[in-house]
Amino acid sequence: MTKKTIVILFLSVLITACSSVSPGGYYWGKYSYTYHALIKEPSTESRANHQETLLNIIAESQEQNLRVPPGIHAELGNLLALNNQTDAAVAEFETEVKLYPESKVFLERLLSGLSKGSE
Amino acid sequence: MKHTSAAIVTVVLFMCGCAEVETKMQAYPKMYSETEKPISILVVPVINKTTAADAGDLINSTLTVPFADNGYYVLPISIVSDIFKREGVIEGSQISGLPSSVFKANFGVDSVLYITINKWDTNYVVLAANVTVGMSYVLVSTSDNSVLWSYDQQVVVDTGGGNSGFILLDIIQTAVNTALTDYIPIARQVNATAVVTMPYGKYHPQVGQDGDMEVVLKSSREKAVEQSE
Repeated sequence: MTKKTIVILFLSVLITACSSVSPGGYYWGKYSYTYHALIKEPSTESRANHQETLLNIIAESQEQNLRVPPGIHAELGNLLALNNQTDAAVAEFETEVKLYPESKVFLERLLSGLSKGSE
Repeated sequence: MKHTSAAIVTVVLFMCGCAEVETKMQAYPKMYSETEKPISILVVPVINKTTAADAGDLINSTLTVPFADNGYYVLPISIVSDIFKREGVIEGSQISGLPSSVFKANFGVDSVLYITINKWDTNYVVLAANVTVGMSYVLVSTSDNSVLWSYDQQVVVDTGGGNSGFILLDIIQTAVNTALTDYIPIARQVNATAVVTMPYGKYHPQVGQDGDMEVVLKSSREKAVEQSE
């Protein structure tokens, strides 16, 4: 490998690394795309795809030492709840409240709906 | 990327050369007040005044990112719109008469964002194509119904066309691009252009330091409020 290719490689890695973090300091992955697909055509598949995006955002944010963006844990919790994975859903809602205390009122209401539903 | 127009050209249409420009602080003083500045935002269903049926969904799916990036806690739009749907609210105009305090009680938020899509025109002119989008944004306090932030804008986004040097190829390219245009980056761009005028929120590293930025067109700020009335 010549020096030039190494420099180019290094620069391109740098550019990709930077471009995946938004101006607000978050990693959003394919968020808008899988969410748009989900509202256009709600199905088991589009729901699973969006769930995968959310998991990827959480993993990538942890990897890059970033705060997980607002709403991601809550959305994941909501998808898990729809899938009857109530315990996992509750855990995600609690993580969201810990990260963003502003979400407390809203998520507590969702949580009370969940426990009503499982009774 | 299938979206070939790497260089998306945005033209913000200024009303005229003499348009009055304000700083963020002059335009939106409440956004800098310790007691009145919002932290959380509830985005209610979009009011779509255009014939582009898809525009609402496109805007809806691209809103969280710019407002969260600007430092606010945006209630998860996917969950919120499901709740509205369950209550029979699909379009924003159905709730336009409600006092915003209703949302404080039910969602625990300190502000509500009302969005109206006024224009969504796709133009296709043989060698070029673009889409003109007109939107207004009004952020209202849930404690006293006052307007915290507002902006109206019209953005023209180039959606492609070719530049190969062979006219026939270019015409085909333009037609293909128009049919397959990926509208998500366009919707993103429209939102981002408006959010530039919005003061940073709690989670932005420069919160409270952007009051001097001269980026607000007074006429655009006022127009958004007029249109929502």
